[in-house]
Amino acid sequence: MSLAILPDILLILFPFVVLALRLFLGKYAKLQWYASNVLLIAIFILLNLLLLGNTEYFLSNWKIDSFGIFMREVFVLGAICALWFSKDYFMHDSCGKPRLKHMPEFTALIGFATFGGFVVVSACDLITLFIGLELATIPMYALAAFNKRDTEGSEAAIKFILMGSLATAFELFGFSYLYGFAGTLDIRLIEHIVSNSPSSPLLWIAALFLISGVGFKLTLFPFHTWAPDVYDGAPTPVTALLSVTSKAVAVAFVAVLVFGPFKAVQSYLSPFIALLAALTLLSGNLGALKQSKLRRFMAYSSISQAGYILIAILGPIETAKTAIVYYLFIYTLANYLAFFIFGIVGSHRNEDFISLRGLSKQNLTLAVGLVVALMSLAGIPPLAGFFGKFHLFFAAAQTHHYVLVTFAVLNNVLALYYYIQVIKAAWVDKPSEELTPLCMTLRQKVVVVILTIAVISIGFLPFLSNNISSGLNL
Amino acid sequence: MFEKILFNLIWILPFLTVLFCVPIAKERVNLLKRIHLTSAGTVLLITLVLACRMMLSYEPYAGGNQFALSYLTDIPWLSSLSAHYLVAADALSILMLVLAAVIIFTGILASWNINHGQKVFFALLQILAASVYGVFMSFDLVLFFVFYEMEALCMYLIIANYGSGDTDYGGKKLTLTLAVGSAMVLAVIFGIYVEGSSFSILELSNIKLSEDFQKWAFPLLFMGFAVSSSLFPFHFWSPAGHSAAPTAVSMFAAGVMMKMGAYGCLRVAIYLMPEGAKLTLPYILVFVLFNVCFGPFIAMRHKDLKFITAYSSISHLGLIFLGLTALTPTALRGASLQMLSHGFLTGLFFATIGMIYGRTHTRDITQMGGLMKIMPFLGVGFVIAGFAGLGLPGFSGFVAEATIFMGAFQNGGTLCRIATVLGILSVTATAVYILQTANRMLHGPITNEHFKTLPDATFEEKIVIVTFVVCLLVIGLCPAPFADFLDTSIAPIYANLTR
Repeated sequence: MSLAILPDILLILFPFVVLALRLFLGKYAKLQWYASNVLLIAIFILLNLLLLGNTEYFLSNWKIDSFGIFMREVFVLGAICALWFSKDYFMHDSCGKPRLKHMPEFTALIGFATFGGFVVVSACDLITLFIGLELATIPMYALAAFNKRDTEGSEAAIKFILMGSLATAFELFGFSYLYGFAGTLDIRLIEHIVSNSPSSPLLWIAALFLISGVGFKLTLFPFHTWAPDVYDGAPTPVTALLSVTSKAVAVAFVAVLVFGPFKAVQSYLSPFIALLAALTLLSGNLGALKQSKLRRFMAYSSISQAGYILIAILGPIETAKTAIVYYLFIYTLANYLAFFIFGIVGSHRNEDFISLRGLSKQNLTLAVGLVVALMSLAGIPPLAGFFGKFHLFFAAAQTHHYVLVTFAVLNNVLALYYYIQVIKAAWVDKPSEELTPLCMTLRQKVVVVILTIAVISIGFLPFLSNNISSGLNL
Repeated sequence: MFEKILFNLIWILPFLTVLFCVPIAKERVNLLKRIHLTSAGTVLLITLVLACRMMLSYEPYAGGNQFALSYLTDIPWLSSLSAHYLVAADALSILMLVLAAVIIFTGILASWNINHGQKVFFALLQILAASVYGVFMSFDLVLFFVFYEMEALCMYLIIANYGSGDTDYGGKKLTLTLAVGSAMVLAVIFGIYVEGSSFSILELSNIKLSEDFQKWAFPLLFMGFAVSSSLFPFHFWSPAGHSAAPTAVSMFAAGVMMKMGAYGCLRVAIYLMPEGAKLTLPYILVFVLFNVCFGPFIAMRHKDLKFITAYSSISHLGLIFLGLTALTPTALRGASLQMLSHGFLTGLFFATIGMIYGRTHTRDITQMGGLMKIMPFLGVGFVIAGFAGLGLPGFSGFVAEATIFMGAFQNGGTLCRIATVLGILSVTATAVYILQTANRMLHGPITNEHFKTLPDATFEEKIVIVTFVVCLLVIGLCPAPFADFLDTSIAPIYANLTR
């Protein structure tokens, strides 16, 4: 047994360590904070050090391959960002809501959700895969209602859990058909059986239900309608987590299925996926046009981002995997940068467009960071988001999906419009009243500067993309 | 080696300047301005030196479809896309680099007196500069597109924050319309890679892309590039954008950015897809006719100086496209001369307009009159720009336009010949609006008492005007070396067309 499983073991220990520290050393709040940071960063570094030539199996149904390692890095990066972002919400009140309590429990739930992602990318049978997806989702229900006295948060959580359970039922139904079709739960065997008889109607029903189920988590059209309400009602750090980790897990799930059991029928599925991607793009982009609340806006923006990621699934496997991993890295960084800035602004004012006014006069660092984050999400070079989207479209173009790619790049113009609307609020519009001063702690300043530099440079500097593509194509 | 480093510095230096200025407090305006001016001046000097070296030592066209490239740098860049950092210069690109450097240098001088947010303004201007330098240098499609699209990042911010009039509307219109163009270009770039399995323009020129692909990809690519050159159905961004933009950005947008599109049409679209070009350009000629014929007439009806100049630019760019669509060597040479000439010409136009507007605070020509008596230097500058624009012999405009018309007539197609005749006639219309505008603005009685106390050009503004006039005269009076030099860039493209 090699060291490759060490990060997984550490991560499953992580929530328990945090909870134990709370239980036994509860008065040293700082200790829990440092311990969780050290553990997560250690896991991240360990994952980076792992060099994997070929797929390794543990106990015959726990798989660790290079795609899995890169996805694990994305999940852990998301967890670290979430930890740092949520810290402020436990320190003081923000946008009229009381401060959150019970940081260790919050951290532990993040840990469980992250481990859910780990399970999804390592699963070798359908049951494990299902457990992974649920493990990544159920903590989110709890997190959405974390502020239990907040009615909006509870409402969001109830909407979330109702829709989520429905989606889970769909998934299980799809899995049961897949099992009925193949007679086995083992993904590798199913892959083999599917390639022998790819045109069975049972397979189609399974695929349809699975995509509908995961479409909910990935906020694909027409299953995206819950997202704006839940994003708007949940506490801001949870919104950020939902838009990054939850989405990354769902993407991993789709990738595991499409490049695994459904590999043989990918060409049959692709018109369907292309249609879903196109409609998701359009509905996300059109929905974002008229928003005035920042979190609702980010909800629609992340819906359209899901559409972009789905486009890459259509490409050849290796290119598509590179594109997805690379884009998720960049999306995590850029999205958290935007959320950090909205969070800092929101801790003094309401979280809507009007409170961004005058930002460029008041705090140039934040204003520049905002431009960088949003333009990266919009895919303007030389920022990282452009290179990410370039990889996504590149993957789809290789399988001759020219019409879809053209549609997607034109949709990008629509996206550019609403991102410019936010930038306009921060840079051009005059504030209507005296501004309350924005004070940033040193930690916030450091995070914003680091993320800004990362989002600017990670794209055109070739290290990350070269690393991923060589790691995946070993 | 040293020259290669200098050449790469052309686009790196603006970025370094921006980084260097980050820690400087925004109150130290003079220091910031001097740093940016020095940096732009250095870039101008580098481009001039490199251009002179190339012009003195170039070898005549040796046949074949490859450019004679100098300062070639080729480093593997993004291995997942097999993209390279591939920059080099040939005749057309080095001359366009000089043009861009002149416009940026004079643009910084022309915005010497902006009164707020100087730190951000000059930083954005430098990023714009870097993006155009990069476009003219890169021979890899990914790199090319990165630079080509980069301007979207800054254009809106700079217009909306520092412009005049309805800045938000103008800025959005410009940015989003250009983004539509870039999106069309991007879509085709993916297609080109899939068909030709390379992003390098040099390698792709040897590959014959399938005709079925060229049939739909060429018009999409050509029109995508043409958006930023305001070719007919996509010309609407230009008047709104130019009128809202601050002087330096108007100069930049009309002088360099609009040339980027034409440059892309020539260097990427026509060069890589010659079969598609021959097939579809006769239809695109119809759009070009709108630019050439209606531009001057719309300009005649407008009262706002910037609108007049914007429509004048639209008609002049129509002439570039007339040259490109004719596809004869003479016409292509004329088109590239016109890119160069119109850059200087429109730079002078927008610079003088900006200076006059900065004094009178109106751009409405009916409100002005007798300005020649008050500010003779600016008045003469404007008149020179006007004369160069209507194609007076002695200035570069005449040389370029004459070459285009000659070349376009060589193309035997009936439609092309009709277009040429109409184009020549439209020059008369150009004369009408330019003379009419100059007359109303500069001559006659002084209409507004307040104008009498206005000062003439400052020292910085004089440098700007003199630089442009010198450039216009140099190309106008001895065009032969430039034309011969440019031929080394045109001949390979034509060789591809006749393959």
